[in-house]
Amino acid sequence: MSNSTVNDDGVNEPNLGQILNTPKWVRITWLPYLVVVLGFMVSLSACYILYLDIWANFEFINDLQKPLPWLTLVFGTGISFMMAALIHSLQLTRIQSVHLIKVNEELKSANAEGTRIMESKQKLEYALMQGQKLQAMGTLAGGIAHDFNNILYAIIGYTEMAREDVDKNSQLFQNLGKVLEACHRGQELVSRILTFSRRQHHQLDTLRLKPTIEAVLELLAQTVPASVIINFNMQEDMAIYGNKTLMHQILVNLINNSVDAMDGEGTVHITASRLRAGDPYLNQFPEANAQNYCKIEISDTGHGMDKATIERIFEPFFTTKEVSKGTGLGLSIVHSIIKEHKGEIAVTSQLGKGTTFTILLPEYVQQ
Amino acid sequence: MAKILLVEDDNLVRDMLTQVLQRANHHVVCATNGDEATEYLKKEQPDIMVTDIIMPKKSGITLISEVKNRHPNLEIIAISGGGRLDPTGYLDLSESLGASVSFEKPIDNTALLMAIDLLLHGNSEQISKI
Repeated sequence: MSNSTVNDDGVNEPNLGQILNTPKWVRITWLPYLVVVLGFMVSLSACYILYLDIWANFEFINDLQKPLPWLTLVFGTGISFMMAALIHSLQLTRIQSVHLIKVNEELKSANAEGTRIMESKQKLEYALMQGQKLQAMGTLAGGIAHDFNNILYAIIGYTEMAREDVDKNSQLFQNLGKVLEACHRGQELVSRILTFSRRQHHQLDTLRLKPTIEAVLELLAQTVPASVIINFNMQEDMAIYGNKTLMHQILVNLINNSVDAMDGEGTVHITASRLRAGDPYLNQFPEANAQNYCKIEISDTGHGMDKATIERIFEPFFTTKEVSKGTGLGLSIVHSIIKEHKGEIAVTSQLGKGTTFTILLPEYVQQ
Repeated sequence: MAKILLVEDDNLVRDMLTQVLQRANHHVVCATNGDEATEYLKKEQPDIMVTDIIMPKKSGITLISEVKNRHPNLEIIAISGGGRLDPTGYLDLSESLGASVSFEKPIDNTALLMAIDLLLHGNSEQISKI
């Protein structure tokens, strides 16, 4: 039987369990001393008895010169010392093994802690990187949007003048009208990009969350197919500090996305609850402060998303919808609005099972 | 008819606005930045100044604050598509510095012409409704 095993890292590890499995007497620390003392006493006794034998046989002459009793004493004592040394070495091995086990366990837990810290660091770095990427895109989109306004203004201005110069019944007049129509669509898109890049001022007020969500659900009831059930659950109403229109916008956007993901059939669950400061769920958000949050979860039973889609979902112009069905701005605007409200948004999804969006908004507490 | 100083760095927008204003029978003088406008104002006195906000050399904001000190009676219209900051922020600032009215690009030119007419002939109550 081998006294060592090869561990995961390919390193020989002493078989500690086997070494530890020693008889009880190995653990008795005074045993070597007892063996020495007893051995000496037995040898001495043997030596004395040998002398007695000699005395009993009446052999007095030069009896002290005879080697046998002395040899008995020396060998007996020697053997007892050797036995004591053997026991002591067994005891030392055991002590070292116990120490090794302890060190090994400490190393293992340190390693696990290290892995855990590394994982949470990676998560935070990823969240920060995503945030920075979106911010950079916002700055870029904002810059482009403003230059685009100048360009659009020139096109609109010249087209309007051209329309004044042509016959109102002509095809040219009609076509120039289409140019203006296209320009106004462009103008609308720029306005949405500006919302994403957070370059517009919004009035913030105290908002009760429950009536806000209920108002959105009432609004959506007109457009959501009857085969889609929307289930809203909120035990206790909470307040946030935000812009009502923007809150409506994000809820409409997320709920519509959920409905779209289900191809006309399924259930959307909306739950809202309080997330207390210090809750471990908040650890994944580097910018979350030590305060209570309102947690809104919007889950659908739709087709779900793969990892690659989830990673890019909040990027502007990223869309999985068909051309003309989505601009790819919806979720980037949602992200931007939530950030403007000092909130957080997270998404989890399973292919074929559904998607859950979780929004965190700081709870408003009246001073 | 009014004498209008148009300050705008984008030549496409400048030419277009010049034509729009001329079609409404206004006399238009153009400047491509704040410095040129300041130079012109040393020699001439227009009725209205229409100025862009973000321009090279001297910006519209600086121009408005300088002009309001030297020519307190000159009516100013600020226009902006934005750029470095929120356009509404810049336009609000320009109004607080003395611009009578401001527009965010793309501007409805009919509204712009109406504002010019009101600044020339109307009263402050009508202007505030724009």
